[in-house]
Amino acid sequence: MMTRSPFSRTIIQGIAAVYPMAKRWLHRFHGGIYPKHHKSRSLQHPIKETFIAETLTLPIKTTRGQKIEWLVQVGDTVQKNQCLVQAAKENKKGFFVPLHAPTSGTIKAITEAEFPHPSGLTTQAIIIAPDFKQTTLQNALKVSGKQPDSPQKLKDILLHAGIVGLGGAGFPTYAKIPAQKDRIHTLIINGAECEPFITCDDVLMQTQAEPILQGAEIVAQALGVKQIVCGIESNKPQAIQAMQTAANQIKSVPITVKTVEAVYPMGGEKQLVLELTGIEMPVKTHAIDSGLLVFNVATFAAIFKAVTQGEPLTQRLVTVAGFELQTPYNTYALLGTPFIDLVNAGQPKNPIQYPLIMGGPMMGFQVAHNEVPVIKTTNCILANPPEPSTFTMPCIRCGECMDACPVNLLPQQLYWHSQAHEFDKVEKLNVFDCIECGCCSYVCPSHIPLVQYYRHAKSEIKTLHAEQQAAELAKQRYEFRLARIEREKQEREARLKAKKEAVKKHSPTAEPGKSAPKKPSVAAAAARAAAAKRAAAKANKNTEHSGTDEQKSPPLSARQKAIETAQKQAAAKVGSKVATAKDPRDSAKKSAKKAAVIAAAKRRTQAQKTTDTITTEEKKVTPQPPSNIATAPPLEDAKAKRQKAMEAAKKRAAERKARQSKQEKTE
Amino acid sequence: MFGLLLGYAAVRFKVEGNPMAEQIDKILPQTQCGQCNYPGCKPYAEALAKGEADVNLCIPGGNEVMLSIAEITGLEPKALDESVAAEHTPKETAFIDEDVCIGCVLCIKACPVDAIIGATKLMHTVIQSECTGCDKCAPVCPVDCIEMRAPETTLETWQWPEPTSEPKPLASQYLDVNSTTEQRQ
Repeated sequence: MMTRSPFSRTIIQGIAAVYPMAKRWLHRFHGGIYPKHHKSRSLQHPIKETFIAETLTLPIKTTRGQKIEWLVQVGDTVQKNQCLVQAAKENKKGFFVPLHAPTSGTIKAITEAEFPHPSGLTTQAIIIAPDFKQTTLQNALKVSGKQPDSPQKLKDILLHAGIVGLGGAGFPTYAKIPAQKDRIHTLIINGAECEPFITCDDVLMQTQAEPILQGAEIVAQALGVKQIVCGIESNKPQAIQAMQTAANQIKSVPITVKTVEAVYPMGGEKQLVLELTGIEMPVKTHAIDSGLLVFNVATFAAIFKAVTQGEPLTQRLVTVAGFELQTPYNTYALLGTPFIDLVNAGQPKNPIQYPLIMGGPMMGFQVAHNEVPVIKTTNCILANPPEPSTFTMPCIRCGECMDACPVNLLPQQLYWHSQAHEFDKVEKLNVFDCIECGCCSYVCPSHIPLVQYYRHAKSEIKTLHAEQQAAELAKQRYEFRLARIEREKQEREARLKAKKEAVKKHSPTAEPGKSAPKKPSVAAAAARAAAAKRAAAKANKNTEHSGTDEQKSPPLSARQKAIETAQKQAAAKVGSKVATAKDPRDSAKKSAKKAAVIAAAKRRTQAQKTTDTITTEEKKVTPQPPSNIATAPPLEDAKAKRQKAMEAAKKRAAERKARQSKQEKTE
Repeated sequence: MFGLLLGYAAVRFKVEGNPMAEQIDKILPQTQCGQCNYPGCKPYAEALAKGEADVNLCIPGGNEVMLSIAEITGLEPKALDESVAAEHTPKETAFIDEDVCIGCVLCIKACPVDAIIGATKLMHTVIQSECTGCDKCAPVCPVDCIEMRAPETTLETWQWPEPTSEPKPLASQYLDVNSTTEQRQ
């Protein structure tokens, strides 16, 4: 559907008199609604002078794991435009733009304060007590005033200026700009402002058309953009005129100012892009993927100020409106100004007894407390008394919501599944493409709060995904832990075995009292195990060499082999000493005999081969001189010694006990 | 002929492991809490696949998990034990009171996902993002310094409430607003 000719427009408008929905034929995107504008009243008054509140609260929203650096402390005196907080250098997570002082004064406190959010939750906040002198830090960003010639230079300035998308989403502008030149062919200026009541962009275009377009020119030249298109809704004729005049003065980039239909939600990024360029942005892509960059008019004005004057974002144009106000107005509100102060300046008919709305009536939300401060994304503060609550009726499946949806979703299906908590189905129906514009709720004859259902479903789905991820992580960690425990167990067993063997090896030969220390260190045990292994490797060879077949279970692991050979070795030593002695340990005796035979065989073979060199291994294997004439005394000697040692140990233990009890008593 | 083909296919496309156990393991919450009297989620899934366990043993999973288990195994859905089901609470994570902790490492040994860090005679702490809330560490603590806490809601984790079918009159909220306004002033 291309832009209609004036003739067909007249015809369609004629049909619309009979069939109102014919108006939808006039714009390119699907659906849309035509709520009353309510814009004229706040436009009647000129921009109100900036007013400085008693205290300014600057809440700082950080995402989890984000690190920030405080540049001020409580009690510090700050100048207007001075940087208060910025992202820490080591911060790698998310995007955080710095915050600057909106006026001069002192830092009263850094505490928790409420964030303007439907939840009413608190975040860390800087509270400034203004001194009403407005001492300003000139060129706070230290810019040269020259136009940046590369995207990176522009990004740096925008980051330090703390500029975010002022249309409402509040995404950091520097992060939206690509780092490479020539990725963007069309720059789009969003002046649609489709929400009822809000007039701040309209006023800005009427009064600041040149800065807006010069800001656009700066971006265009830095990024190598080929053309600039500005879309303004047809219900803002003065703004269109002002922008057209300003556009004619800019020669470097071709600028077209286009009038678009006044239909909600024309100001949505995807909707405006489709209307102006005919490009339908694919699902899950950003405008940048289609070679487009879309910014709100207020963002361009802020860019202009930052680049040319080095002025950070510390105030913004806010519409204060609502049925309850006698003089709705627009003003440059300092960030941190409480909502209630701004509303009271608009002369409310009655004291405000109900929650104010941040944003427009369609997409805005009620704040939990009316003292919440203006933040960078506050475009409008509405003082509309709550409508009498309408009872939700059952869905009659009329399909109005489907006709109104600007992103071609099936609101009715989404509603049924969200209500039934079938969130997987909701997700399959692309609930994440929903822009929460509220068209479906607006047209619903049963007054079903459809958007609330989708919002709830979205957060539920996000939680589910997070839980799934957590479960996957937990599973991995659990399995890793099991594997680790198994490995440790095996290692411990091996160590224990080696230690046992080592103890066996030592105890009969050396003095028992000394050779069996009560707590042999692990290192010593490991060393012994290693020695045993080494010896085992040799001994194994020997056994094979000598041709004896003691190995009853042939497929043995290296470790088992090592252990076995260590046993043999130990036994050999014992055997060499106490071969004839009557030892109750039959098995040990047997193995000792065998080992002795092996050792003897080995020695013989080695002696035949080389008589000169004695390898260290041999030394290990045969530490004692070979003698089959064993004597009984050593064993008895050992027994006696052991007994002695035992007695000594008992004595020592008794002494220790006595000492401990004494100590306890004294304590 | 077909026999051969099928025989070949059975060898060629042999499925490793028990597919049903893996399927069940996927839907289990992986808290590794052992409330099913199996040492972890996987052993329970394996027991289920063999038909040795009841479908209603997973307490953290609640009714939804029970139903999906019944669907996979083809067993009759069984209601969760009432006394236990009543206790079913939203996810919590363990917190260690670091002033009281004596560094006994008992909780570190009890944790099935290694979410507690610390060393002997040194303070321990729980890695919140890794904690599954299985509550295994709390009973083993000799000084009772571990408690289960619901995670704090932040602007990021806050959820839109589900709309109620009957909208409550908004006025009741406003009264609340005014009282707090006055208090603040």
